[in-house]
Amino acid sequence: MKLDGSYTIPAPREVVWQQLMNPETLAKSLPGCERMQPNPDGSYQAELKVGIGAVKGSYQARIEILNPVSPERYRMKVEGKGAGGFVNGEGLLTLTENGSAQTLITYSGEAQVGGVVASVGQRLLQAAARQIVSQFFQAFAKQVQAVAFPPPSTDPLIPSSPR
Amino acid sequence: MATPLLGQRVKRKEDPRLIQGRGHYVDDIQLPGMLHMAFTRSLHAHARIGSIRVAAAKAAPGVVAVYTGQDIQGQLGWVPCAAGIEGLKVPRHSCLAIDKVCYVGEPVAAVVAASGYAARDAADLIEVDYEPLPAVVNPEKALAKESPVIHEELGDNVAFVAKLAGGDCASLEADKTLKVIKARFINQRLAPVSMETRGVVANYSPGEDLLTVWSSTQVPHILKTQLAIMNSLDEARCRVIAPEVGGGFGSKLNVYGEEGMACLASRRLGRPVKWIEGRRENLQATIHGRDQINELEVYVRPDGKVVGLKCSIIADLGAYHQLLTPAIPTLTALMILGCYNIPNVFVQTTGVFTNKMATDAYRGAGRPEATYIIERVMDLVAHELNMDPVDVRMKNFPSPDDFPLALPTGVTYDTANYQRSLKKVLKAAGYSRLRKEQERLRKKGKYLGIGLSTYVEICAMGPSSRMPAGGWEFGEVRIDPTGKVTVLSGTSPHGQGEETSFAQIVADGLGIPYDDVTVYHGDTFQVPMGIGTFGSRTTAVGGTAIYQAMGRLKKKMARIAAHQLGVKPGELVFRDRRIETEDGQKSIGFAEVVAEAIFAKQLPPGIDPGLHEHSVFEPSNYTFPFGAHVAVVEVDGETGEIRLRNYYAVDDCGRVLNPMLVDGQIHGGVAQAVGQALWEELVYDENGQLITGSLMDYAVPKAHQFCWFETQNTETRTPVNPLGVKGVGEAGTIGATPAVVNAVVDALKPFGVRHIDMPLKPEKIWRILKQGVRN
Repeated sequence: MKLDGSYTIPAPREVVWQQLMNPETLAKSLPGCERMQPNPDGSYQAELKVGIGAVKGSYQARIEILNPVSPERYRMKVEGKGAGGFVNGEGLLTLTENGSAQTLITYSGEAQVGGVVASVGQRLLQAAARQIVSQFFQAFAKQVQAVAFPPPSTDPLIPSSPR
Repeated sequence: MATPLLGQRVKRKEDPRLIQGRGHYVDDIQLPGMLHMAFTRSLHAHARIGSIRVAAAKAAPGVVAVYTGQDIQGQLGWVPCAAGIEGLKVPRHSCLAIDKVCYVGEPVAAVVAASGYAARDAADLIEVDYEPLPAVVNPEKALAKESPVIHEELGDNVAFVAKLAGGDCASLEADKTLKVIKARFINQRLAPVSMETRGVVANYSPGEDLLTVWSSTQVPHILKTQLAIMNSLDEARCRVIAPEVGGGFGSKLNVYGEEGMACLASRRLGRPVKWIEGRRENLQATIHGRDQINELEVYVRPDGKVVGLKCSIIADLGAYHQLLTPAIPTLTALMILGCYNIPNVFVQTTGVFTNKMATDAYRGAGRPEATYIIERVMDLVAHELNMDPVDVRMKNFPSPDDFPLALPTGVTYDTANYQRSLKKVLKAAGYSRLRKEQERLRKKGKYLGIGLSTYVEICAMGPSSRMPAGGWEFGEVRIDPTGKVTVLSGTSPHGQGEETSFAQIVADGLGIPYDDVTVYHGDTFQVPMGIGTFGSRTTAVGGTAIYQAMGRLKKKMARIAAHQLGVKPGELVFRDRRIETEDGQKSIGFAEVVAEAIFAKQLPPGIDPGLHEHSVFEPSNYTFPFGAHVAVVEVDGETGEIRLRNYYAVDDCGRVLNPMLVDGQIHGGVAQAVGQALWEELVYDENGQLITGSLMDYAVPKAHQFCWFETQNTETRTPVNPLGVKGVGEAGTIGATPAVVNAVVDALKPFGVRHIDMPLKPEKIWRILKQGVRN
C-alpha cells in the first residue's frame, strides 16, 4: 500500500521540525497512542490502539527515525504487530518553508500489511490509513500551535506571553 | 406402486430433517468432557519461524494444552498426498509448521481449551517471531531462475512437468494452408465456500484404544486410513464418521492438518477435542480451486475444422500438496479436446509451487478449465473465420456413430450425440430469433450477447488403474426380518441426495415401497469399505454397486420363492411386494420369502440363511456426460454491469433416475460457474497476503443475481454400468462458465473485443466500453 500526501502546518519550519522530533508531541498526535517510550538504540516503542473497520486491535510498534537532515527531512520506519496482524512501513517526510509562518510537510511511503487487517480490511485500508494520517497531522498541528503560539494564561501568577 | 420409481421426481428423504434444522453436523456433536481447539496461523506468506512464545497462552483461563510444530515433530505423520505423477516433488507437509511458513494461514500452533472462545483468545496470545522471506506469488515468476525457492530441499519451484501428446502437432507448423490462432487465458483462483465450513471432533478412548473421529468429509474411509497412518494406529482402532455434511464441492475430499491435530490432542489428553473452522480460516486454509495460465496455439483449416491444439498449462499449486493437488491440472490436459475429435494435440502441464494455499479439487476439478479452454477456442475460431459459433461446433463434432471414440489424448468417450443436445438447446433458446434481436439492439447502442458452450466431462471416477486410491465402490443391501431394507454405501454424500436415489434403485428393483428402504453411509464401522463421493461417481459407481448387490439378493430370493412355488427362478418378477410369475398365476409375498430366508425352515439345498449381499463395482471406464448451454447476457453500457438475462441448459447425464435431483445439480453447478465467470476471484497481493479474506471481499453470487435456468435433458445411456447413468454433480460447473464468457465477448464484439479474462467484473467491462467509445 502506497501512502503519500502533504499537510500544511501554520508554524515556522524550525518549530515544526523540533516538534516532529519530539516523542512527546508525536505520542500526543498519534491517534490511539497509549504509550511511547524511547529504546536504548534511539528508536521508540509505542502502543497503539487502531481500528480498521471491524478490525480493532492493540499494536506494539517500533518507530525509528533514520537519516534526519535538520530541518528538512527524515525517514521514518514503523514496525507494528498485534493480534490483528502486522504493519511494516517506511516513508520519507520532507519539510518545505511556505513563507515564514507556514511549513509544508510532504510524505511518501509504503506500508505492508498482513493478517486479519489485510484479509478483511483491504477495501477500507487505504481510506483508513489516509484518515489516520490526517488525524495525526490535525492533532500535530494543534500541538505545534500550542508550542508556537501558546494561549494567554488564565493563571494570574504567570505572565500571559512568554515571548 | 405400479409406476416404476426410477425416473420419477421423488422427494428427497433427507429434506425433512435438514429443512427443519434436525440434522446433525459436526458442530452439533457434544461429548462429555469435550475440549476445543483453535489455531494460531501464519501472518506471513513466506518466513522462517524464530521463537514461539506460548507462556501467556498456556496461562490463559481454560487452556489445557498448547502445541507447536516442535512439539509434534515425529509424533504425527505428514499431511498426505495421493497423486501419482512421474517425477512429482512432494514437500514435507507438517500439520503444524516446524521451522518455516509457506503461506498466509498455515497453522503454526494449536491451543486446546475448555471452550471455543477460550481457545481462540489464547491462540491470539501466542507470539511468533518471524523472519520474513521474499514471497513468490506469481507462478510464472516462480519459474524464473532468480526466483526465491519455497522448498529449498527440492531445488526449484517446479513440482512436476507432465506432457501429453497425440497425433503430430509438429507437422502442422509447416502447413501454410492452416490458420494459427494464439491465445492466453487465465483461469482464476476460486474458493469452494461450502456452507458448512470444515470441522472435526476426535475422541480417543484410552481404555478401548479406539480413536473415533467425526469429520465434515467426503471420504470417510480414505480419511480413516490416513488418520490411522498419521497417528500410528491400526485401522481397526480408528473409526471415522461423516455426519451431515453441509457441502464440500471437493474441498472436503481431503485430509487436513487440523484433522491430524485434533486426533493428536485427543490421544495425548484422553478427552474429546473439537475444532470448527471459521469462515476466514475457510477462505485462507481450505483448498482453493482452478488457478491456471493457459497458452494456446490452435491450427485451423479455412473451413473451420480444427486439426491441432497445443497448450501450455501453468498450474499454481500453492505451497504444499494436499491429497490430490498435482492431479487436478492433469485432468485439464486429459479433457482439453472437449467434444471435438481434434487429431493432433500436445499439452505440457507445469505444476508450480507458490506461497499460497494449496489448490485441489473444486467442483469440476480440472475439467472446467479444459472446457473453458476449448469452448473459448471454438469461439475464437468463429471470430477469426467470421463463422457462426454454432457452425464451427457442428463442423468439429464427431458423428454419434463414431462412439466409442478413442481420442488422441488417450481417453475413450463412451457414448454421445453432441448434435442432438446442441440442436435442442438452440431450439429452447430461440437462437436465430436471439441473433436478430441482438442485431436490432446493436443499432440502438445496446449490447446483448449470446454465448454457447458444448461440453463433455469425464465422470464416474473411475477405473482403479487410473485412480490413486482405487476407483471401485462398495454397496450392500440387507433385508431385515420385518421385510424392511437397509442399504449401505461406501460413497459419502454431502447434499447429493443418495439416500433418495439409492432407495429408488432398491425399491424399484425389489418391487417394494420406497419408504421401506433406508440408506446409510459415512460411518466406517458400519460400511466396511468405500472410496467416497467426488468426481460425479456416486450414482454411476456407488449406485451400481448397490444395484449389483441387490441383483445378487434378488437371485437368492428368486431361488427361495421358486422352491416354494415350484417354478424356475428365471420365471419370477419382483413387483408390488410380491415375487411372482409374469402372468401372476404363481405368486408369493415378498415378506414371506424374507421370513423363509431368515428363519430358514425350508430353504432349498445350498442356500445359506439370511438376506445380505454386497458388491464392489469396478468400472471398466469413466463415463463422459455432455451437454449444450446457451447464456444470454445484457451489458449495461453505462456501468459495465452484466445481467444474465436467460440461461438454457440441455444436459445428457445418461439415464436420469430422479429428474429433480438432476435439476438441482445443474442449477447449483450453473450458479457456481456463473460465479466464476462474473464475480469470484481469490486475490493475493504481491506479498502473498490474501486480500479477499471474507465474504465481504470474495463475491459469492446471491440468488437475485440469477435468472431462472431453463433445464432439459437428452438421454444417451452409457454401457459402462448396468444402470446406464453417467453422473451430473459437476456438469453445471463444467459447462456454464464458457457459455457466460462467450456471451459477454459476443456482446462486446462491436468494440473489437476478442477475449477478456475472468471474472468479468463491471469495472473491467466499463473500462473496455469507455476505451471503445473513445476509439
